[in-house]
Amino acid sequence: MSAPIRILISALGGEGGGVLASWLADAAMADGYVAQRTSVPGVAQRTGSTTYYVEMLRAEGRTPVLCLAPTAGEVDLFIATELLEAGRLIQAGFVTPDRTTIIAPLRRVYAITEKIAMSDGRADSDLIVEAAKRFSKAHHIGDFQAVADKAKALLNAVIFGLACRALPLSPEACRTAIKLDGRAVEANLRGFEAGLAYDGDEAPVEAPAAEPAPSVFDAKIDAMIDGLPQEARLHARVGVERLVDFQDAAYARLYLERLERFAAMGGADGAFVSELARHLAVRMSSEDVVRVAQLKLREARLARVRAEARARQGDIVRVTEFLKPGPDEFLSILPAPLARALLGLVRLAGLERASVPMRVHTTGLWGFLRLRALASMRGLRPVSLRAAQEKAWIEGWLNLVEQALQKDPAAAREVVETAQLVRGYGDTWERGHANWRRIAEEVIAPMLGGAQNAAHFADAVLQARLAAVADPEGKRLDAMIASLKQVAAPAAA
Amino acid sequence: MAEISFKREIESLKLGDGQTFQGEGIIAVTKALLQSGVSYVGGYQGAPVGHLLDVLVEAKEEMQRLGVHVEPCMNEAAAAAMLGASVNYPIRGAVTWKSIVGTNVAADALSNLASPGVKGGALIIVGEDYGEGASVIQERTHAFALKSSIWLMDPRPELSNIVRMVEKSFELSEASNTPVMLELRIRACHMFGAFEAKANRAAPQSTAQRIPEPAAFEYMRLAHPPVTFIQETDKFRRRLPAAQDFIMEHGLNETRGPQEGEIGIIVQGGLFNALNSRLEAAGLSDVYGDVGLPVLVLNVTHPLAPRQIEQFCLGKKAVLVVEEGQPDYLEQAIGQILRKADLQTRIFGKDVLPMGGEYTQRVLGQGLAAFLRANGRDCGALDAWLASLAAHEEMVRGMLAAPMPARPPGLCTGCPERPVFSAMKVLKGEIGPTHVAADIGCHALATFAPFDQGNSILGYGMSLASAAAVSNTQARKPVSIMGDGGFWHNGLLTGVAGSVFNRNDGVLIIMNNGYSSATGAQDLPSSAPTDDGRGAGVDIEKTLRGMGVKAISRVRTYDIARMIKTLREAILSPAKGLRVIIADGECQLARQRRIKPQNAKALAEGERVVRTRFWVDPEVCTGDHSCIRLSGCPSLTLKPNEDPLRKDPIAHVNNDCVGCGVCGDVSHAAQLCPSFAQIDIVQNPRWIDRFREKWETKLIRRLSGGARA
Repeated sequence: MSAPIRILISALGGEGGGVLASWLADAAMADGYVAQRTSVPGVAQRTGSTTYYVEMLRAEGRTPVLCLAPTAGEVDLFIATELLEAGRLIQAGFVTPDRTTIIAPLRRVYAITEKIAMSDGRADSDLIVEAAKRFSKAHHIGDFQAVADKAKALLNAVIFGLACRALPLSPEACRTAIKLDGRAVEANLRGFEAGLAYDGDEAPVEAPAAEPAPSVFDAKIDAMIDGLPQEARLHARVGVERLVDFQDAAYARLYLERLERFAAMGGADGAFVSELARHLAVRMSSEDVVRVAQLKLREARLARVRAEARARQGDIVRVTEFLKPGPDEFLSILPAPLARALLGLVRLAGLERASVPMRVHTTGLWGFLRLRALASMRGLRPVSLRAAQEKAWIEGWLNLVEQALQKDPAAAREVVETAQLVRGYGDTWERGHANWRRIAEEVIAPMLGGAQNAAHFADAVLQARLAAVADPEGKRLDAMIASLKQVAAPAAA
Repeated sequence: MAEISFKREIESLKLGDGQTFQGEGIIAVTKALLQSGVSYVGGYQGAPVGHLLDVLVEAKEEMQRLGVHVEPCMNEAAAAAMLGASVNYPIRGAVTWKSIVGTNVAADALSNLASPGVKGGALIIVGEDYGEGASVIQERTHAFALKSSIWLMDPRPELSNIVRMVEKSFELSEASNTPVMLELRIRACHMFGAFEAKANRAAPQSTAQRIPEPAAFEYMRLAHPPVTFIQETDKFRRRLPAAQDFIMEHGLNETRGPQEGEIGIIVQGGLFNALNSRLEAAGLSDVYGDVGLPVLVLNVTHPLAPRQIEQFCLGKKAVLVVEEGQPDYLEQAIGQILRKADLQTRIFGKDVLPMGGEYTQRVLGQGLAAFLRANGRDCGALDAWLASLAAHEEMVRGMLAAPMPARPPGLCTGCPERPVFSAMKVLKGEIGPTHVAADIGCHALATFAPFDQGNSILGYGMSLASAAAVSNTQARKPVSIMGDGGFWHNGLLTGVAGSVFNRNDGVLIIMNNGYSSATGAQDLPSSAPTDDGRGAGVDIEKTLRGMGVKAISRVRTYDIARMIKTLREAILSPAKGLRVIIADGECQLARQRRIKPQNAKALAEGERVVRTRFWVDPEVCTGDHSCIRLSGCPSLTLKPNEDPLRKDPIAHVNNDCVGCGVCGDVSHAAQLCPSFAQIDIVQNPRWIDRFREKWETKLIRRLSGGARA
């Protein structure tokens, strides 16, 4: 007696998983099987995880008793429309090497918990793909979304084509099922045929090896970059380009001088200088309003917007920027004494939280002129309050890096990484600075001063940095610092 | 108009004798109602039974032809009360709702229905939302059947059996003058299968053939003293035995497998398929359900027929009772029957199976193996399967140690309720936390990330009522959230009237999105009237004013700055009394369904159409994701950082964006960052658009250069 073929589909609400299940069941019936399908949509129809389940059987003229839910270890075909959902059901044990064929696209739809992380909370896609390959009997994993886009069809139709090959179903029965459904028949047939004919992803066009681009800098700068360790040169080169664009060649030279100084120190290997080059360039090109205006005036931007928004030939694309700098951000681009005086007045008036909401139409003439006026303040930047603040911060940070390097190179690398905390705008910028100051004063300084067990220096800085991006309220960082003090207390006593 | 069109389903409802019905479980139940000659159908929408009512509401012509009155009721209590028609008149009626929550709401009417009993068959179809994917509290409908003496069906999930049980329920109801409940689990409701249809039956008395005279006055038809004790006695003296006889005579429960055997299994009908698959794995059945040991499948789980249980257990050493959920009502009842009959059959049940939780195949396999082992039977195949699962899991854990990130359901792209929660979160940062009384509806999804808010959920439309004592014992006013669905279901009276009457302080936000959205965009009294809809355009604001609420603000939800300001004033205002904020914004799913075809048509006809979406400037975004923590929109997502100097992924708006602007407005309101831009794509531009575009571009080109060093 034959056993049913069991198919489990996992999808996100609204992705056509239900339609796919109905196609599969209808195709099975067209091919003479008895088929039953069911699902657990519930509120999952609103973007949550959801599953569909199909059983098909060559029945012997009697009504079979088919299951309504999948059994771990008894799934013949597992289909996911998204990679994390594949991982979820692999983890739940539904994919087994003795019988399960898996079909999963490489595409990711990030879950909310991945998206709200303050740094990078994304699940490891490579690991899921590896698990899918290892724990399945056969696997079809690829960039099926690209196949669908190319065929101007939806992903579920392409997957139906792939599933047809993995099952004892005739393509004709599948086509019949699509026609029977009656919705978007042509597009779905296109997608189905594309899936049916799929034979591996097109090899990605190899990007030409990163030839060192012909230098746009003067010979002195080139020589300075070449003097850095090999591993650091790529970051240094990008950094120099960024800083020339941000300010001028003299400013880029300052950047390289700083790097050179560290490269010459004991304990500074190539990887260390490379990371320092990366963070230093970002910190030295901090996004003040002048920089933001400058970035938003780039001509290449509109072409990019057009492509992303899928504007057709002849469509007109208008861009409206949402800008709302606070008094700090706005006034700090003025020369330092003037900015301090004005900020003092703002504080007196209790207007720290006030802001200048602007919707700037950058594709229009007036909007362009406003941004252009802002960007043209670049010449004033070196004497601005913001520049002075940034310079003070960078020097403080580099000073800590230098001290740490003398004590423990591994810890120095972690001190370099703390620069990642300082970024963004408004509250984010302030929170980043506050967190950094806490780590500098309550973690790094005591370690450098010998008040705490220096054997854990690198680890303590790493843990503090991770704690700082664990939650916006800073609870984890509080706890981390408190525990560090507890450990230190007995030693001090 | 509901979310889905039921054109094809309506055709399947019209099938005649001998034709094959193919479709979803809940639609099969609907067809069975029509085959049974119902005069009226009512109910309240909710998964997984909502389609029953949706399809009948849409099938106006067929309902008119058959003379069936269809009524989407205001709540489950109203639906249960509707069955009152069958108390006096020999007409059949059915109502439906989501259990257990809906049954709780209906409890008052159910008791008063069950007490006098019914003349015409009365059937209540409840969606038993239990186990995986459940969206409500986990309690058993069984308790209501027991306490009110309502019979309970739990049919084996095969369409022809489900249909037969619906038909038999009406007969059972009439034979015993008792209302009947039929519970269907989620997967059974959504199961697609086939059965041989019968022609629909028009009821002899219906909207088409009206009853000429009202029923005579008869005190026994009233659930009111002095007759209530007589009715209570009638339940067990006459109705119960009548039902038990009917169950036996009509073979509603099924005995499968060999007659004789040392051990046997008694199973709720709804669980039979899962049980059979594990019997198969144990080598004790096949895919046709030819079980190798006696199995009693209870399509009726209340009442049990003691004679049937005795007969089944006679001569058996042990039986396994497979019953999902707690308390173990069936096990207790079977135990009592066996004790009274002085049968020594040992009962296995919740000792080898878990008390709570869903009975998945794996759980059943474990219980079955324990039962077989305890009775000296071979359970090697099951044990091997279970061991292989454990070994496999161990291996998977070795590679995928950390759990995958959870993916709870969230508000849709462009949802009008999102900006309200964004505003609340921004305000929380500014003035500190407030007590938030949450409610049932889409807005309950704000209890998940990134909003993570809500101190209580006490029931549908109950938020304001649940904050009554909080408002009088707490320094800061609580905020209650209610949808327009919850407002009409219950909140208007239990919440608003109660708050006005008791002069409570508090802030109530009513999400006026125009539909009962979470259940599939059904119309409400306040929905806009349309040609094919049921909306009556009842104005929520006028309703509130009529009830004496004075402080009412209406805010378009997408206006976040105004929402923040209004909320701040309402919460911090020293003035006493209830303050209501009506948050206006049409359900985006419904809106898109409405405007997409309109735009496509206009575009095809060459009209000027502006498509709006938002965009994150990848060079300006620094990858902190504050914007996502204040929005959670599905179309606001991540992409890898292209900047070789930065590592964290940056925010990115994908092409699902509907241009609601919440992300941009939030970053404005919370002063997040300058990364957001609104992109307007003018399709089929007019000459004036092109003229403007041409000259502006030309001038900008000429003027650039200097600034673009």
